[in-house]
Amino acid sequence: MMEPRFSRRGFLVGAGGATALGAGGVAFDGAHAPAAAQEGGLPDYAAWKDADALIIHSRNTMETKRGAVGSGGLTASDRLFIRNNLPSPDASITADPDAWEIAIEGVARPGTMTLGQLKRLGVTSEASVLQCSGNGRGFFTHGASGSQWLTGAAGCVIWTGVPVAAIVEAMGGPAEGATLMTSTGGETLPDGVDPASIMVERSVPIAAHAHAMIAFEMNGAPLPLTHGGPARVVIPGYYGVNNVKYVKRLAFGTQESGAKIQTSGYRVRPVGEGGAASQPSMWDMTVKSWVTHPLTDPGSGRVQIHGVAFAGPERASGVAVSLDGGQSWEQARFYGPDLGRFAWRSFVMEADLAPGVYAVASRATAEGGSVQPEDFPPNERGYGHNGWRAHAVELTVA
Amino acid sequence: DLAEGRRLFVEGTEPACAICHSLADAGAEGEIGPSLDELRPDAARVARAVRGGVGVMPAFQETLSEDQIAAIAAYVARAAGGG
Repeated sequence: MMEPRFSRRGFLVGAGGATALGAGGVAFDGAHAPAAAQEGGLPDYAAWKDADALIIHSRNTMETKRGAVGSGGLTASDRLFIRNNLPSPDASITADPDAWEIAIEGVARPGTMTLGQLKRLGVTSEASVLQCSGNGRGFFTHGASGSQWLTGAAGCVIWTGVPVAAIVEAMGGPAEGATLMTSTGGETLPDGVDPASIMVERSVPIAAHAHAMIAFEMNGAPLPLTHGGPARVVIPGYYGVNNVKYVKRLAFGTQESGAKIQTSGYRVRPVGEGGAASQPSMWDMTVKSWVTHPLTDPGSGRVQIHGVAFAGPERASGVAVSLDGGQSWEQARFYGPDLGRFAWRSFVMEADLAPGVYAVASRATAEGGSVQPEDFPPNERGYGHNGWRAHAVELTVA
Repeated sequence: DLAEGRRLFVEGTEPACAICHSLADAGAEGEIGPSLDELRPDAARVARAVRGGVGVMPAFQETLSEDQIAAIAAYVARAAGGG
């Protein structure tokens, strides 16, 4: 019955059969997903996904395999991760996207608008990293419950939508003194449950609405039900939970949502402590990178080491790669288009590898100067892990 | 004990576990959270999730005693996987 627990010992220590490093995408690719979920294949609402590119943790949670995120900068929709907090509504809601209604409150002239009406107010598009708060949870060793994501609960996609700023302006501006924007999801809740206990409703600082949008397209196609279609909130630079799917209400005000997912959920706190409104909320993402290729023995000689780097609301300004577990670093090179500060950048470092064992790590730097840390302190829910040591990959070159 | 764990699972919590989770042994067909027959969590993982919450799953540490949490955890770990 025990879910396999991989121990993460000091990275240099020879680990016998197990990968000494916390990472080594190879060792975890699909291997540790609960067998029943993996055999069960893809649920209907995600049947269009490429199952071979995914680790299926459960019906609502699937991550992109480390080596399947691609090297072109954008994540293909059919391999982007899925993290649904609630089962998605019926697919019929995407039959006529423009009929979808969203209530706008906490503005001078509040009202309910259809997506079709909102589209008249403006359009924008932005490439951004979508990342679950729990991405990297599997690298912690204190046994946080929830999906044991490694690197795959993250992707970089292009969103198209109506700028929230244009909506607010068209409705006379936010209420006086409003400090927060709250988004409410349109999932249907079962009877016998206090809605506040399980509904998806999230508040973020009002400043975030400057880049936020009501997205109706992803990677140039209508936003699929799987990812919040017909319309979801997208707040570039913010963790996934804030990008509320099937959004049916947007409100500006001074009170944070009373939903549990805000008051005690997605709060960063020491191991063993319960969630509370006094603790930091999972809002903007931090500087982070990881190597995506090679993950298995590339054979000796000239090798291109690829990966991705980003810094939440900031632009990633650079990334260094180490082949010896952090003893020495060399600057890697960004390649491919720069899709803006919210997107991740692909990086490459060429290396000439003689036979041997290498501990390949990457360490990103943000424009503002912050650097990806070596380790990230364990916290109760296993959020926000961006430590480069745990994300390192062990390569044995024959 | 397991009978108490099952009773709590089916009707002893607010909201009841059975509303959100499916677990054949308890006759529960909740669709909100993962199927426990599929997830097959061990007792420690269940206790942690019940105590502190996971995603939209609420935390029950204020409303359930440690013994009650242990009873639910033992029951679910034993019953899951049987579906």
